Amino acid sequence: MEWLLENRTRLLTLGILIVLFLLAISGMPAEEWVITALRGLALGALTFLVAAGLSIIFGLMDVLNLAHGELFMLGAYMGWTIYVRPDTVIDGATPFLLIASLLVLVPLLTRWVRSLTLPDLVDKIWPWVGLAAGIGLLVFALFQYPLSTWDLENYAQSPISNAIAFETGTFQSPPPAEFEASPVLVIGGVIVGSGLLALAAAGFSARQTTLRQPSPTQMRNIAIVSGGLFALAFVVLAINNPLTEFMLGLGSTPRFFIAMALASVTGALLGWTIEVTMIRPLYDRPIYQIMLTLGLGFIILELVRAVWGRPEFQMPRPAVFAGTGEGCPATSIGDLVQYQCATIEVLGGRVRMYNEVFIIIVGLLVLGAVALLLQRTRLGMIIRAGVQDSEMVEALGINVRQVFSQVFALGVGLAALGGVLAGPSLGLSNGMGARVLLLALIALAVGGLTSFSGAAAGAVLIGLLQQFIIKYGQIGINVPFMAEPFKPSPPLVPASSVLLMVVILLILPQGLFGRKE
Amino acid sequence: MLEVRDIHTYIGQFHVLEGVSLSVPKGSITALLGRNGAGKTTTLKTIMGITPPTQGEIVYDGQPIGGLPSFEIAQLGIGFVPEHRAIFRDLTVRENLRLAERNRGDFERKEDLIFNLFPDLKRLIRLRGTNLSGGQQQMLSVARALVPDNRLLLIDEPTEGLAPVIIEQLIEAIRQLSAETTVLLVEQNFLVAQTLAEYYVIVEEGQTVKHGMMADLAEDEETIHRYLGAA
Repeated sequence: MEWLLENRTRLLTLGILIVLFLLAISGMPAEEWVITALRGLALGALTFLVAAGLSIIFGLMDVLNLAHGELFMLGAYMGWTIYVRPDTVIDGATPFLLIASLLVLVPLLTRWVRSLTLPDLVDKIWPWVGLAAGIGLLVFALFQYPLSTWDLENYAQSPISNAIAFETGTFQSPPPAEFEASPVLVIGGVIVGSGLLALAAAGFSARQTTLRQPSPTQMRNIAIVSGGLFALAFVVLAINNPLTEFMLGLGSTPRFFIAMALASVTGALLGWTIEVTMIRPLYDRPIYQIMLTLGLGFIILELVRAVWGRPEFQMPRPAVFAGTGEGCPATSIGDLVQYQCATIEVLGGRVRMYNEVFIIIVGLLVLGAVALLLQRTRLGMIIRAGVQDSEMVEALGINVRQVFSQVFALGVGLAALGGVLAGPSLGLSNGMGARVLLLALIALAVGGLTSFSGAAAGAVLIGLLQQFIIKYGQIGINVPFMAEPFKPSPPLVPASSVLLMVVILLILPQGLFGRKE
Repeated sequence: MLEVRDIHTYIGQFHVLEGVSLSVPKGSITALLGRNGAGKTTTLKTIMGITPPTQGEIVYDGQPIGGLPSFEIAQLGIGFVPEHRAIFRDLTVRENLRLAERNRGDFERKEDLIFNLFPDLKRLIRLRGTNLSGGQQQMLSVARALVPDNRLLLIDEPTEGLAPVIIEQLIEAIRQLSAETTVLLVEQNFLVAQTLAEYYVIVEEGQTVKHGMMADLAEDEETIHRYLGAA
């Protein structure tokens, strides 16, 4: 009873939303509203994957990561590359692993640099010289490195053509790229270049007085990781051709799942790197952090434009969701499994398996997994406590900064997963990040900024609202005293979510699930 | 056990501590006294590493800890019971206690001790922090500092805003736990401080102005009146 009284505004708002939903579907044939609702839920699921990370990061760390949308987009492009062009990824893995193996050594090198005594002037200048030399050498070596990839200048070899060829099953991967210069020199250049870069980074970080020394166990672990990455780089190089053939020989379905997993993990690693190197030094200056993430978003956008080009292109659906021949659209689950249909008939309407079912399932799985993580694990307990008072969590003896990095990695990993998932449904475009970020921010405001369940509810609401407005744009709403049905025009779609946000914030300033501070 | 020498701390632009020194002998309860805004809470936060000192020395068990991040200071065996309790609202009582574990199983090992001191908590174990009364939150806050093997407890205003019955219960609990743990206690209520502490330190405008045995202070009405405003 007390709970009911306490939450009456919230319950009333939810009640009104449900009534509005019922009104919205009352004039519609069942198959249409079911499909529209599924589309709304799918859009909600994608928005949720971005909003979830945003909300946990904001709640725990007070960092509004404005680069989150672009990281979603980067995830989509990375996923596309792993999916359509695994040969490129495998070729690029060796230099990537080599660079990473040397950069992880920075804490050890910092320790060593600190023990040096150099003349003042040399001490000031050498990291800059190292940085310039390292970048120069690395860029030079990487341009010599053989990479079998697409060609933005040549339409037949562009990502657009690659995607079409992949979908029609006519994709021919180019012959394996060969070293033109001496392999020893090129690989040596990558190693020396990234070594110089790591040394320069150590030179800069040695200047920070507050930096803590790594413990002996940490130093041992760093050395093991670095050695492992270094060795792995050469293993990948040695088995490059068989590995490429194996990946290209896999069906599109396993490749798609590999792409989802690999892009999420890469996204998480990227998130971890961003937190440790850029966000961490700025916890005392929140405004700088916001500017940093905003700038980072632009840099990622330009990077994507430089590597994958500006035009939009498709990410073909995996085969298991693409069948159109005999037995399709499926009328039963049995048919669906047997013929791997792209669509299934529900109440006489056709529901697309990937866009309207699979995305929702993944969204639900992530929702469940993150909810379990938050409620059942120690990390989740620390996150929930830290959202309220991270200072006190630290005073209990918990290294909150380390948890910050993990949470940032988790958030970016989820966004990258969302990007890959969105690929086959929305296609890949330079604008997809900004669009989803706007939706996610609105979802957060609607749901309550730091509430994880609020992020989920807000995302679903926004998704449903947008899809129903689109639907009514097609069929029109019968308004009394008007001869023609009213058809909401397309610009009303984004405007409607902002309007919903305004209305909800007027009634519930903390959002649906937010809490008064 | 703990030596604080001439620490200076800034909060933003404000020079809050302008030379606090104090010493907490092992196995004792030392009361940190002073008027509102004298710098008592900031002193505890500075020892805890939450507001690091810009100057001065803090030595715990022979080891300098000034400037260490607060989680490392806590890991050395210092527990903090902050002003206003800082209970985690969304966590249950059990989760609040579990969060304070430094090693797996800390809570199970201390369960009996904690529930002996605060029998109420056992009954409330599944409740969320937000549903506890002020007194229950305070008990939980003290209990939380007992979960790991802390050797020094910094307790900030434990009796503030609580009913007399609860205050008595807390006094008893702090007295019992001080048998094994050293305590630095900030307390506005002079009677409570007098009952519990053996030593006292008085701070005024961010500086230590007096220290000594509590028994002596109790008879020094002029000092009490001048620095604490109590009769």
